[in-house]
Amino acid sequence: MKTSIFTTSFQRGKPRLKAALVFGAIAFVIAFAAAVNTGIVGELLRPAMSEAVLVGLWGRFAVALVVGILCFGGCYGLLGLPHRVQSWSVWAGLALSALLLFYSFDLSYEFIERKLPFLLTQGAFTTIYVSAISIVLAFTFAMLGATAKLSGIAILEGVGAFYTSYFRGVPLLVQLFLIYLGLPQIGLVIDPVPAAIAALSLVYGAYMTEIFRSGIQSIPRGQWEAADALGLQRMVTFKKVILPQAMRVIVPPTGNQFISMLKDSSLVSVVGVWDIMFIARTQGRADFKILEMLITASIIYWLLSVVLEMVQHRIEAHYSKSVAR
Amino acid sequence: MRSIIKKTLICAGLMAAAISTSSQAGKTLDAVLEDKMLVVGTNSDYRPNAFLGDRNELEGFDIDVSREVAKRLGVDVKFVTPGWEVMTAGRWQGRWHMVVGSMTPTTKRAEVLDFPATYYFIPAGVAVHKNSSAKSIADLNGKVFGVVSTSTYHRYLEHNLKIDAVGTPPFEYQIKPQEIRLYGDINEFDDLSLGEGVRLDAVIQSVSVINQAVSKGLPVKMLGDPVFYEPLAIAIDKGDAEFGEKVHAIIEDMKSDGTLVGLSRKWHGVDYVTVK
Repeated sequence: MKTSIFTTSFQRGKPRLKAALVFGAIAFVIAFAAAVNTGIVGELLRPAMSEAVLVGLWGRFAVALVVGILCFGGCYGLLGLPHRVQSWSVWAGLALSALLLFYSFDLSYEFIERKLPFLLTQGAFTTIYVSAISIVLAFTFAMLGATAKLSGIAILEGVGAFYTSYFRGVPLLVQLFLIYLGLPQIGLVIDPVPAAIAALSLVYGAYMTEIFRSGIQSIPRGQWEAADALGLQRMVTFKKVILPQAMRVIVPPTGNQFISMLKDSSLVSVVGVWDIMFIARTQGRADFKILEMLITASIIYWLLSVVLEMVQHRIEAHYSKSVAR
Repeated sequence: MRSIIKKTLICAGLMAAAISTSSQAGKTLDAVLEDKMLVVGTNSDYRPNAFLGDRNELEGFDIDVSREVAKRLGVDVKFVTPGWEVMTAGRWQGRWHMVVGSMTPTTKRAEVLDFPATYYFIPAGVAVHKNSSAKSIADLNGKVFGVVSTSTYHRYLEHNLKIDAVGTPPFEYQIKPQEIRLYGDINEFDDLSLGEGVRLDAVIQSVSVINQAVSKGLPVKMLGDPVFYEPLAIAIDKGDAEFGEKVHAIIEDMKSDGTLVGLSRKWHGVDYVTVK
């Protein structure tokens, strides 16, 4: 059982009614503020009231009230379901509405269908392998960076401090251009893909150095001292005592960074790497159908991050074993 | 204190000496002939000159011109798409040997690149929404224009377009825009399609791109006559005159034997090669 803010489950009785009322009231306020009476929702109430009433303040109130009541009813029904079913059906409902929103754009599906194979075979393939290599490298850089920063050796601390300061402080796009255009000036001519991987892994390695460092430092000093008392060597203590405990703190933000990196890999299209974004942009521009390609790309990125989310969840569960009840 | 500074300086000096390497100046032509491979930098989203076709491969006028140049050099051809800013920045370091990307030889660009051969001229036109109230180009003074950032159309609207290629027809600045919106990735035509004055009142682009947009069913139209003609040239990196002469000779041959005109008719529908 994981901890949560509220101890009640809101599944029956008074708490259920109260929670549903709160959700309904929130929906009412939002609907009223956004003046939904003039949009599609208003059209649904057309049979009940005339055009003049509908656009007025009374119409606005009435439409918002209907929205509020519908939300109240929906939430009341949902709250009665088991916890898991509840959260999954809400997730699915929101995903469905996002897709319906895209659907309402009146896109050319024939065009998407024609271009989708390229987006997947070439675009998604490139994005995945660039991100995967960068993730491994970033993890290595972060591990080295955090070890250096905590080593107590001044030279290494200086290197680590400079690394995080510079690579966190300069935008990824600037970094990418500097690596791609700058390195050749000293005779190191590198191709777009290695430049992209270098930029992604160096910048994300710098962010993650700080995550690793704070994670390691969050372990109480008493753990070090206890290990000392047992006669363990410092490196052994670090590897076998501190790191496994620190991982529990480190994994969630690191998973965040990986998802973020997967999406930021779209920046590499500017130096001519044929990733998802590059194919989407160029194919879209060529036929003046950029929105079709952008939405398709957004869905592919989303699905890829869902996979990463699931992996993160697994790893998190593994390192949380010690605190599980 | 002083000794610390001294030591630091010595360390820094040693490191700098270790890092600095010699940069080589290689002959582009030698590299091309040796590898039997001409690497051409070009655009990937510029219909009908260079774009991804239905087989997800580059095709278009620039692509066919590059293939022909490579054929006459007796080498194979390979395309790379490094992005416009990267190509126009120069200092390619042999990553690609030339750019066939419908590039206009402006005076500024000629500072970092050589333009050995002009291979066609293209008219720039004004596009408006198809329901636009503007009857002539003069009606567009004080309106909002959208153009690709740092393009010749951008310079034209800023009244700062200098082209130093031989045979460029003279032109006048006919438009005083109220605002210039700059575009990079997002297509300015998408914003123009939203309606007159929603985001843009007009767009300046090459006439062939405007025609493409119209034929692809976008709600836009061309207004009036072309505002200027720009020469488009093959670009090479500075410092290999021999390669430049070779490219120049090949393009001249392609002009005189009608190959270029044929390619222009194939992709643009008209002859943009011959100066009118």
